[in-house]
Amino acid sequence: MPQVLMEGISKSFKVLLRPEGKFGILRGAFSRKSEIIHALQNICFQIEEGELVGYIGPNGAGKSTTVKIMSGILTPDSGTCRILNRIPWKERLAHVSQIGVVFSQRSQLWWDLPVSDTFHLLKNIYNIKETEYKKRLNELADMLGISDLLKTPVRQLSLGQRMRCEIVAALLHSPKILFLDEPTIGLDAVSKLAMREFLKKENREKGTTIILTTHDMDDIEALCNRVMVIGHGRLLFDGEIQQLKKQFAPLCRIKAFLSEKIAPLPIDGAGKIEINGNEWTVYYDSSKIATYAMIERIANKLPLKDVSVDEGNIDEIIAVMYKEMCLV
Amino acid sequence: MIEVSAMIRNSTVFANIRACLAMFRIKTAEGFQYRLANLANASVGVFWALIDITVYLVFYQYAERKDAGIIAGMNINQLVTYVWLAEAILPMIVMGVDGEILGKITSGDVSVELCRPLDLYFQWFSKSAAARLAPLFWRSSVILLTGIIMPPAYRISLPASFIGFLWMLVSLLAAFLLCTSYAMLICAVRMKITWGDGITNMMMLIGSILSGAYLPLQLWPEWMQGFLRLQPFAGYLDIPVRLYIGTISPERAISSVSIQILWSVVFIISGKLLMAKRLRTIVIQGG
Repeated sequence: MPQVLMEGISKSFKVLLRPEGKFGILRGAFSRKSEIIHALQNICFQIEEGELVGYIGPNGAGKSTTVKIMSGILTPDSGTCRILNRIPWKERLAHVSQIGVVFSQRSQLWWDLPVSDTFHLLKNIYNIKETEYKKRLNELADMLGISDLLKTPVRQLSLGQRMRCEIVAALLHSPKILFLDEPTIGLDAVSKLAMREFLKKENREKGTTIILTTHDMDDIEALCNRVMVIGHGRLLFDGEIQQLKKQFAPLCRIKAFLSEKIAPLPIDGAGKIEINGNEWTVYYDSSKIATYAMIERIANKLPLKDVSVDEGNIDEIIAVMYKEMCLV
Repeated sequence: MIEVSAMIRNSTVFANIRACLAMFRIKTAEGFQYRLANLANASVGVFWALIDITVYLVFYQYAERKDAGIIAGMNINQLVTYVWLAEAILPMIVMGVDGEILGKITSGDVSVELCRPLDLYFQWFSKSAAARLAPLFWRSSVILLTGIIMPPAYRISLPASFIGFLWMLVSLLAAFLLCTSYAMLICAVRMKITWGDGITNMMMLIGSILSGAYLPLQLWPEWMQGFLRLQPFAGYLDIPVRLYIGTISPERAISSVSIQILWSVVFIISGKLLMAKRLRTIVIQGG
C-alpha cells in the first residue's frame, strides 16, 4: 500500500466574471457571469514511504490545489485519495496530526510573540510529551541554527530566519509526510543550501516522505530523484529527473571566441549558429555528435581564441518542456 | 484512581482542552502587548459614560413625568451605576469579527489553521474569547476606578446585596460564554466571503442594541419587557448589571443565568453546524 494514493482527483472552482465593455462595472453590480475553472483534472499518482518528490508546474497549474487536497483542507469534486490509509478531508483531524505542512507565503508563527511561544502552543496542539518535545526542538534548532532566535519576536526575524522557524514548526511533531510549498522562495544562497541539506538529512535519517512544490529548479535537481510536472490541471510527467532531462534537453551549445571577425560559414553537424561580433554560438545535438568532436570541427574551421561548453541548465530544460507541453 | 486520572490525562478530549487553553493563553499574551491602544479605548468609555449620565440626569430632573424612570423600576443612582458597569464590560460584546480570524478568512490563511489536528470551531472559540480579555481588563479597570472617584451624583454605587454581587460574577462568566458563542456564529456566517460584511454587521448591530448597551432594557416600553427578558442579548450585560444594581433579585438569578446558558448552547450548536457546512465547500483564497 503506497503512503500517498491519488486516483482520478478532479477539482474545479467557480470564477465570477465582470461584463466587459461600456458600463461593465455598473452592469457587473447587477448581473454576473461565472466561469468554471478546472484546477485539477483526473490526477493520478502514488508515492511510497521515504520518497522525496518534486512537484513542479507553471504558476496556476494546480500545484497548491493538489497540496491542499492532500493535506485535507480542500474536498475534491471527484476521485479517491488515501494518505496513510485515511481519506484526508473525511478524517481531517486524525490525518493532519500525521503530516506537516509549510505554505511559504502563509506564516504559522505568531507575529508579535517570541518563536518559542508558537512552538509551545504546537506542543500542546499536537500533544507532544515534554521530554520528546525538548529533544526534538533541540535537535531541529541545532540543525537549522535557530537556537539563538527562540526568544525573538517573529516580527523581528529576517525572512530566512523565519523560514527556518516555519520548518521547525512543521516538523516538531515528527510528521510522517511533509508538504512544502516553495520552501526556498526568497532565501539567500547560504540559507538555500542549508535548507536543502537539512531536508535531505531529514528525509534520509527519519525516513520522512517529502513532497515539495517549487519554481527553483536547482532545488529539484539537488533534492529530488522523482519529479511530477503538472500543467493546466493535468499530470504531464512523472518520473526520474534524468529522464526528464534527456527527454526535454534543448540543443547543447558551444561558445567560440574568435581572434578576428570572419564571414559566416557552415559547420558540419551544427544546428543554428548565432554570430555576435567575435563571439559565435554554435548549437548542436549532443546525442548525435560528441562534444569533443564538435570542438574539433570548430577549431579546424575558425580562428579560435577560446571555447566554452554550455550544457542547458535545468531552468532551460523546464522552459523547453513547458513550451512543448503548450503550458506557456 | 490513579489509573482513571491517567486515562483522563491521555484522552483526546483532555488533550484538546489543553490545546485550546494553550491557544487562549498565547492569544491573551498577544492582546496584552497593546497597552496604549487599550488605554485609549478605556478613555473613550469614560467620556461616553459621562455624556450618558449627564443626559439621564437631565431627563430625571426636567422631564415632564419625573417618575417615568421610577415606574420602570430604576432610580437615578441605579441608572448611573448601570451606565458605568455597562461601559466597563462593553468590550465583551461582539462589535466585529476578530481581526485575526477575519484576516485568515479573507486571505486564505485559514488553510494553516486547518492543518492542525484541532477542531477549527473550538480553536477560534478560544482565540475569539482570549482576544477580548485584554481590552476587557484594561477598560473595566480604568472605568470602574473612574466611576468610584467621581463626585456623588456621578458615582458608582455599591452592589444592592452581597449575594446579588456574587450572582453578578457568575452571570458575567455566562455572559462571556454567550458573547463568544455569538461571535463564533457570526464568524461562521462570515466564512462565506462573497457576502462581505453586510450580514454580519447587521447581526452585530441587533445584538448590541438588544443588549441594553445603548439604553438599559428596563427603560424600554412596558409591552416589550417580556420579549426583552427572554431574547438572547439581554445576557450580554443587562442581566449581570441588573443583578448588581438589584433590579433582578437574587431569587430570579438562577432563571436569568439559565437563559444566558441556554442561548450560549443554541449559538454554539448552530455555529458549529454552520462552520462544518462551510468547511465542506471552502475555497482557499490567494493560491
